[in-house]
Amino acid sequence: MLIQYVLVASSVVLLVVFLRRRGTARTAAGTKLAFVLFVLFGIFAALRPNDVSVVAGWVGVGRGTDLLLYAMVVVFTFATLNIYLRFKEIELRYARLARTIALSNAEPPSDARAD
Amino acid sequence: MSDWPDVWLIVPVFNEAPVIGDVVRNARKTFDNVVCVDDGSRDNSADEIRFAGAHLVRHPVNLGQGAAIQTGVEYARAQPGGRYFVTFDADGQHQIDDVLAMLERVRSEDVDIVVGTRFHGDTSHIPWFKRLILKTVVLLSPRTRRLGLTDAHNGLRVFNRTVAEQLNITLNGMSHASEIVEMIDRRNWRVVEEPVTILYTDYSMAKGQSVINGVNIVFETMLKSRAGH
Repeated sequence: MLIQYVLVASSVVLLVVFLRRRGTARTAAGTKLAFVLFVLFGIFAALRPNDVSVVAGWVGVGRGTDLLLYAMVVVFTFATLNIYLRFKEIELRYARLARTIALSNAEPPSDARAD
Repeated sequence: MSDWPDVWLIVPVFNEAPVIGDVVRNARKTFDNVVCVDDGSRDNSADEIRFAGAHLVRHPVNLGQGAAIQTGVEYARAQPGGRYFVTFDADGQHQIDDVLAMLERVRSEDVDIVVGTRFHGDTSHIPWFKRLILKTVVLLSPRTRRLGLTDAHNGLRVFNRTVAEQLNITLNGMSHASEIVEMIDRRNWRVVEEPVTILYTDYSMAKGQSVINGVNIVFETMLKSRAGH
């Protein structure tokens, strides 16, 4: 079915694009645009469920709700991965901050006590 | 002054109060320069370290072993006169004699880093499950095999100033071993292995990383190249 190709392709494209160009202004803008489109689609789907079903029919899915479900899975996976990567990035900054503090408070051995 | 004024021992420490004092005192019989990175221990590891005469760097919060090693290396490389650097476990499972043999190699041979391996000769002292896991990790990593390494997760390493200057561990937890292998490959450090003996005491076994953590390591390593820089 066509839907399978569409879902797989969109997952791959999203992953590649966002993982490759993370952090750049272009990606940030891309995320916002994608989000806007996603919201617009949500509104459209809510107002005209029958139209969504028609679109679903085009790509080989039985019902519009199923199409939405499939799309949600892709978006959710992508969002989870994105949050994971962001967390790792923050963790690294946090580690560097803590390291700087640790190094500035380092204690060399006091010779009186050593041996 | 000892025979090794240009060597720095880097010991990441997390809640090792029962043993760290002896480990440091034993190491200081041979090496003057020992820096312990207390990774936010909740016991009195820090006092034990101070009393044993090591340099003490304290993380204000617990960050993980990878972060502690990076901190120790950054401290040591900023001190004057350091030419060789050793990562050494705090739980007493590494042998000073092994360190000396590795130092000899990094001094006399054309290598940048010497990594300890448990898989030369008799391996019967390694618990069989641990052996299986460590072997699997190596098998799953084409990079490790290409570099001719047999034990990527050995904590005992000796390296020169080039490596110390370039070392940049970004994975805070236990995945740093894989990250170091990756750095060896990418930065073209010349690497050799040296057979070492790991003393598996009840203490070190209880403290050692669990097998389950292997899953975390694989996952973090796969995603690492995306997150860190």
